Amino acid sequence: MSKEAYTLAIDIGGTFTDVVLREHASGILSVAKVLTQSPDPSVSVLEGVKEVLNGVSPGAISRAVHGTTLVTNALIERRGARTGLIATAGFRDALEIGREGRYDIYDLFLKLPEPLVERRLRVEVRERLYARGEVMTPLNEDDVIKACEVLREAGVEAVAIVFLHAYVNPDHERRAGEIVRSLMPGVGISVSHRVAAELREFERTSTTVANAYVQPMVARYLARLEDGLKALGVLAPLHIMLSNGGSCSVQTAVRFPVRLVESGPCGGALAAAHYGNRSGHRQILAFDMGGTTAKAILSENGAFPVTTESEVARVYRFKRGSGLPLLVPVLDMIEIGAGGGSIAHASELGLPTVGPQSAGADPGPACYARGGQLPTVTDADLLLGYLNAEYFLGGQMDLDVDRAADAVDEFARFTRLDRMRAAQGIHDLVNENMANAARVHAAERGIDLNGYSLVATGGAGPVHACGVAMRLGIDRVIVPPAAGVGSAFGLMLAPIAFDYVRSFVARIAALDHEVVNKLYGEMEDEGRALVREAGIDDSEIRVVRTADMRYVGQGHEISVPVPLGELTEGSDGEIQAAFDASYKKLYGRLCDGVPVEAIHWRVTISGPEPEISGSGSIEEVADDQGAVGQRDVLFAEGKCRTEVYRRDKLGRGAVLKGPAIVEEVESTTVLPPGWVLHVDDTGNLILIREDA
Amino acid sequence: MKDRTIDAVELEVLWNRLISIVNEQAAALMHASFTTVVREAGDLSAGVFDRAGNMLAQAVTGTPGHINTMANCVRHFVKAYPIDTLKPGDSLLTNDPWLGSGHLHDITVVTPVFYRGRGVGWFANTCHAMDIGGRTLGAGARQVYEEGLNIPIMKLFDEGEINRDLIAIVRANVREPDQVVGDLYAQQAGNDVGAVKLLQALENYDLADIEGLSGLILDRSEAATREAILEIANGVYEDEVELDGYDRPLVIRAKVIVEDRSLIVDYTGTSPQVDRGINVVYNYTHAYTTYPLKCAISPHIPNNEGSFRPITVTAPEGCILNAQFPCAVGARHLVGHFLSQPLFGALSQAIPDRVIADGSAGLWNTQLEGVGRTGERFSYIFFSAGGMGARPGDDGISATAFPSGIKGVPAEAIESVSPVIMHRRALIPNSGGAGTFRGGLGQEMVLSVDSDHPTLHSCMYDRTRYAPRGFLGGGDGRRGELFLSDGTVLPPKGRYDLQPGQSVTLRIPGGGGYGSPFERDPKRVLEDVKQERLSHEAARDCYGVAITADLEVDVEETAVLRGNASADKRR
Repeated sequence: MSKEAYTLAIDIGGTFTDVVLREHASGILSVAKVLTQSPDPSVSVLEGVKEVLNGVSPGAISRAVHGTTLVTNALIERRGARTGLIATAGFRDALEIGREGRYDIYDLFLKLPEPLVERRLRVEVRERLYARGEVMTPLNEDDVIKACEVLREAGVEAVAIVFLHAYVNPDHERRAGEIVRSLMPGVGISVSHRVAAELREFERTSTTVANAYVQPMVARYLARLEDGLKALGVLAPLHIMLSNGGSCSVQTAVRFPVRLVESGPCGGALAAAHYGNRSGHRQILAFDMGGTTAKAILSENGAFPVTTESEVARVYRFKRGSGLPLLVPVLDMIEIGAGGGSIAHASELGLPTVGPQSAGADPGPACYARGGQLPTVTDADLLLGYLNAEYFLGGQMDLDVDRAADAVDEFARFTRLDRMRAAQGIHDLVNENMANAARVHAAERGIDLNGYSLVATGGAGPVHACGVAMRLGIDRVIVPPAAGVGSAFGLMLAPIAFDYVRSFVARIAALDHEVVNKLYGEMEDEGRALVREAGIDDSEIRVVRTADMRYVGQGHEISVPVPLGELTEGSDGEIQAAFDASYKKLYGRLCDGVPVEAIHWRVTISGPEPEISGSGSIEEVADDQGAVGQRDVLFAEGKCRTEVYRRDKLGRGAVLKGPAIVEEVESTTVLPPGWVLHVDDTGNLILIREDA
Repeated sequence: MKDRTIDAVELEVLWNRLISIVNEQAAALMHASFTTVVREAGDLSAGVFDRAGNMLAQAVTGTPGHINTMANCVRHFVKAYPIDTLKPGDSLLTNDPWLGSGHLHDITVVTPVFYRGRGVGWFANTCHAMDIGGRTLGAGARQVYEEGLNIPIMKLFDEGEINRDLIAIVRANVREPDQVVGDLYAQQAGNDVGAVKLLQALENYDLADIEGLSGLILDRSEAATREAILEIANGVYEDEVELDGYDRPLVIRAKVIVEDRSLIVDYTGTSPQVDRGINVVYNYTHAYTTYPLKCAISPHIPNNEGSFRPITVTAPEGCILNAQFPCAVGARHLVGHFLSQPLFGALSQAIPDRVIADGSAGLWNTQLEGVGRTGERFSYIFFSAGGMGARPGDDGISATAFPSGIKGVPAEAIESVSPVIMHRRALIPNSGGAGTFRGGLGQEMVLSVDSDHPTLHSCMYDRTRYAPRGFLGGGDGRRGELFLSDGTVLPPKGRYDLQPGQSVTLRIPGGGGYGSPFERDPKRVLEDVKQERLSHEAARDCYGVAITADLEVDVEETAVLRGNASADKRR
């Protein structure tokens, strides 16, 4: 066995921690699934690593990648450090005033998220900059010293420093940081120009404060984990999954823990795109449907859209705007309350509605026979014949058809439908909800789904994939193998990548090149150092520049590529042309004569894409492809006697004509009439709509 | 194609699809729009209508002043241009305040949709234009003629050809012709996206039109709204509020008559229209009446024509809530935003647990125009909110807009694109009305301009004379204030020159309290004192809670304070 022959991936979820070891040469994965332990999940990680090594020398691991929901959970559960804020005089309330809006215009009783720093721990100091960075009022160092006294007295463990316009001129923040560091040793410090150098004081304060709030906890946790891995003999560099779909070193993660915030689902998205791409499809709608929620993200040529406006810890999980805003680059994913456990009920209009309330895993759908009485999507899917009562989770759990029928009957009564039409209604409604969410998501990004392939994962994903696809006008569905560890596998696909931003409002026609070159120079120097720190060679570093630009007077910016190297007057034309092309792609036309301005200048510094070849699946053994049984299944076209297959018995190249059902341990693929399925040579199930 | 019945599941599916379609319409419009308030503040609306012009669904965005006025506006288009007289590629528009949303700055574009050669419905949207000529947006005009260009209902596109004459007139009349015309294209783009998606849905679901669907949607919404009204005890509930007005106070008087399954609002007794631009057209009155009623009575029922049917709104012609042409209407929100207050005041007699106390309500609109240090002319407008009224069961939200759905703009954004400097933006302690539940705090802003020249400051502010009222024993919120750095107090709706080196302070009101302050949990009073939202003195004087120097509740003294006060009350 050669040295450096393995990659290790560790994915901590709410319930399970998945540890996956991948042998480079064969592409074969070994998997351990252990219960996530709280409060210290590093214990479960180490247990899983021991299990998965199973004789393999830990020294043969060349890279370890780790994804965790620790940061998100700490913010949701408010388990972070006692945090203080030092702000520009007159602006400590930016965190509370926010944008002065309501996220639900009809709810008089809506709740806003509590700020992470209480008002009395927000201390003001005299200092002020103009928007272009010149000093209006010098920093009053005595005020900073007094602020430290107040915060120390209050026992804060972390301090955020946010001054107006610090994204243009960081001097005051830097100096205040030095003073705090000297007077409050051992306290974590987050300064806004480092965490989120972006114009908009409320959002930048919210982001900086969140960074400070989770930092001590993340630092302690990652130190324990690194030590534990070393003790096991795993000496390979440990990389941490970020919410932008990339990864970073432990040092970087400790400095900017807020960048880990939405990294949880990134692994799954990377894996889905990878599987789709390997089957030759470059435009992917990755669709993951689990017990409580469905998530979707678009990917083109392996790249994902990234949004820089995200939020965390929503008061209402599915209400946009009810969370804490974060200026953190995040894969632009949607999540809606649609899963196997989603409950069907009557709306105030007496109409059938599904979700977002979920029966979850406990008590779960009525058919789990664990006390759930309410009809769920899983109950409907069972009655329709999509699920097998005797082969759920590979037979580990029996489903109770009678209980499902009773629950659905209740729903049928108030909708005045018969049982099977009601079940069909639940199935259709949840499909429609997911399709609508995906459709609006695509529209908001100016994307036409025509030509996209839907990659279905999650326990309920392949059950609903064709129904969702048809509603979106999508004719191809891909069901990758071994969906159960997709997320952990996806971590291995994450390159080292970190994003920087600096706000500087400037018209392209009158661009101060010196300023922009300086901004890019600073960001790129810092980025290269950071990527090198993760063990990447200089020659392998890639730099991608973009700017958020708009016509002067518009309120919405679009992301435009910016040329590399020294910007000069000669490059202005190139920037303008890039803006024109991006704008035209989104809106179909240009507004001639209106000047263009840039607001935010961004750069992504990354290492090489990890080489992942082979199947990326657990070793499979296929023998014949015969049906294992038959059952009645209700499709939109009516009831059909349908052949049932086992996925692990379908060999490469097998072809099935719908209607058919393919069962596996993690999920069930439903192939409606008019669709054809084949198993391609990567092990993906490819479902194609024939009558389209 | 077949004519078929629609069962409950299909109805829900199709309805959701319509909502999805109007959200796509709004997304297309928002992205292409030039006007900051459209994108950043959500100052737009988008919806789909049946052949007769009944609104079926609207995008989850926008502000009531647009959503509900658009619903009424489309009827006027249908009357002027019945759908069967139009052709594919046609599109119509108007900004007539009396047909649309009450001032010239809002332009409504309405586009018929054709399927298999027949008109099946309409898409409409309303957007705030960056400029419309005339005086800039404000309350100062004496007639609507001064406020800008008025476009009667006419074609924007004729079988796909833009109306060149109209565009030339618009270009000649507005200050930012490229952006204003650009926004008209954006509005059309939104409607076009809606039309394409609607046709796909008709095809997918094998429907000839949306008439059958429309009947079901409207009837269901109407029935549900009527059931919700039935929960309110029959009766006549009355209330009135006083406002600053332009230069003299105004009264808004509302009578809410609940009769089984219908509800009538009558504004008889309200002040007459005035000769300045704060008059409200009937459409806008209707919009800001149905909106708060929905919040209180039926927040979960979709907002469409059916949900409006059980509610009748009347205001005598010539009163400030049914102002007649050609009065000035530019800053109509300064009156319209307050309609929720007499309505909630009246309803507090019937459903006290479902309404909130008075808040700051009318947005404080600040417009500054002048010359920056570099010699470049600038004009900047932004909207700011004070405190919301306290709620049964919870404190009011500080510095948050209600009933408007508009959002504020960051100080850093203002300073980056204009020479305006915001020196302070802070919550005002003690500004929330005392109560079992406290009113939301107002906010203070201090502004100056980095310039060697005077800057014209147009003020559109209210509640500087009359405070937002507390409900059911709650105290009033603090009134608004407006003054210069030399102490000069300014009128809330004037225009004046802000001199170089001078600053102006805006204190936006706090919300009223709800319930007796003596019933407030002393722990919550203590928390407010700890968080510097309330002074020790106010805790004692307004709440009867004594707080010690080391921030504890003095239980004994509190008992004495509260005991004495309730004894006082009994006398």
